[in-house]
Amino acid sequence: MPTLLELQTAMRQSLVHRDIAAVSAMLAAHVAPDRLDIYRNTFLLTLTKALRLCFPAVQKLVGEEFFEDAAQVFIAERPPRAAWLDQYGAEFPDFLCAFAPAASVPYLGDVAKLEWAVNCALHAADAEPLDAAGLACVAPEDQGRIRLIANPSIALVQLGYPADTIWRAVLAGDDDALQKIDLDCGPVHVLVERRTRGVEVERLDVRPWEFLAVLCAGEPIETAIESSDGFDCSSALAEHIALGRFRCFELAPDVGDRVPSTAIPR
Amino acid sequence: MHPASISKSSLIPARAGIGLRFQHHQPVLDTRPDVAWMEVHTENYMGGGTPLKYLDAIRRDTPISLHGVGLSLGSAEGVDPAHLERIRRVAERVEPGLMSEHIAWNLVGGTYLADLLPLPMTEEALDVVCRHVEQTQSYLKRRILVENPSTYVAFGNSIIPEWEFMATVAARTGCGILCDVNNICVSAHNHGWDASGYLAALPPDAVGEIHLAGHSIRTFADGSSLRIDDHGSKVTKEVWTLYRQAVARFGAVPTLIEWDNEIPPLDVLLDEAQHAERVIAAWQESNGHADAA
Repeated sequence: MPTLLELQTAMRQSLVHRDIAAVSAMLAAHVAPDRLDIYRNTFLLTLTKALRLCFPAVQKLVGEEFFEDAAQVFIAERPPRAAWLDQYGAEFPDFLCAFAPAASVPYLGDVAKLEWAVNCALHAADAEPLDAAGLACVAPEDQGRIRLIANPSIALVQLGYPADTIWRAVLAGDDDALQKIDLDCGPVHVLVERRTRGVEVERLDVRPWEFLAVLCAGEPIETAIESSDGFDCSSALAEHIALGRFRCFELAPDVGDRVPSTAIPR
Repeated sequence: MHPASISKSSLIPARAGIGLRFQHHQPVLDTRPDVAWMEVHTENYMGGGTPLKYLDAIRRDTPISLHGVGLSLGSAEGVDPAHLERIRRVAERVEPGLMSEHIAWNLVGGTYLADLLPLPMTEEALDVVCRHVEQTQSYLKRRILVENPSTYVAFGNSIIPEWEFMATVAARTGCGILCDVNNICVSAHNHGWDASGYLAALPPDAVGEIHLAGHSIRTFADGSSLRIDDHGSKVTKEVWTLYRQAVARFGAVPTLIEWDNEIPPLDVLLDEAQHAERVIAAWQESNGHADAA
């Protein structure tokens, strides 16, 4: 008699890899093995639906059938690891980039990357914005160590193709706009965030994008300003804070603050 | 651990409620329907943003029950602690009147199989489920209800009747039973069980909630048929008959109308809930509890 783990492993083999031999042998006598198809169908339909919800523009670009085929291959290769399907599909953009049948649509991976960022922004945890008054209370000697923690909905995405314009045109069904897109315009830099009205996708110039990216990576404000190369970062910073792009701040550890390891704690 | 048993419905009344899905968020806010309580899938509220905002607004007037579909109480390798923590956080935020999970599994080898999969009815599976129910109740610091599954296959090594499995889990862990009457109807047909006998074998004191839903019937070339628990239509006559038997045995308990596929306008759900309310009221009248509701 199979152990529970053996049975569950056999069931996974039938669902993910369509190999029903092992689990068929474990069924009761009155059960025809084709009943397993019901579970296989539910598994595929549920996960394909999750991917469809997350990647609507990708689906429109390649068509429903192609999308389903690609999703089936992806699901078998990368089934979900957690029972939170809003978070399923992180690896789909990279999968599409390497998916040979999609090679004729070179920007597909970038559109998927953008849609994943939009999905993450949609489901990101709620966060109260940083209270700027708290920043003013930091002692002057510590101000160089302030680093900001980004609102969890924020993503800074760099795309080789103008996938933001493609994404908008595809979802709007605007074929004219789609025709006018210059695929060779070079990389674009995009800010994705959830605001009260919904998820917004905004294209930034490279310098403001890099400045915000450094801040969101948790580097001290001072470091971000130093590396910003002449662009007016103080007004950019004030705007980011006013728009609630950070939820709090903390002080980066200072070498000067370190207590010798032999010190007796008070 | 045997958590202190809470009263059958400290917050969720022993009346009919509806499963709340995203399509009905706005209609519910717009029309404020007269429905005693609502239930949502825990997994749909694990992130931030719009869904939680709607739920916050709706639960000001309406008690909410949290029904999880992902915890995998029957996994040999254990439940995912990260998922348990996500459930705890949703509960902290939503303050549900009831919380429930399934006698099923979906996690093996770290893969989430996105369904409520059938367990073999063995002593090993019983031990595994009881261990995980206890772990869940102690982590959430409250009693949970566990739902009987709908199944299409059965395993050769099953030796415990499903109704006995359910009763034993409740007896050993102190958890309640969410008696899904539609699932009993579906599984009884698919495996040749006696649905009324199933109901009669459940311990009335443990039943804290009832689910009702629609199912479909698939007929095969050889003339055999299988009932599919697809929650995509009205509750069938057969299930209403079974429900009356359930109320006669368990008394008035919170009863939910579930609908997950081809979701109809809100009014259709409310009509179904009214139907269940009438069954509860009729039972109360015949038992001299007319003023209990």
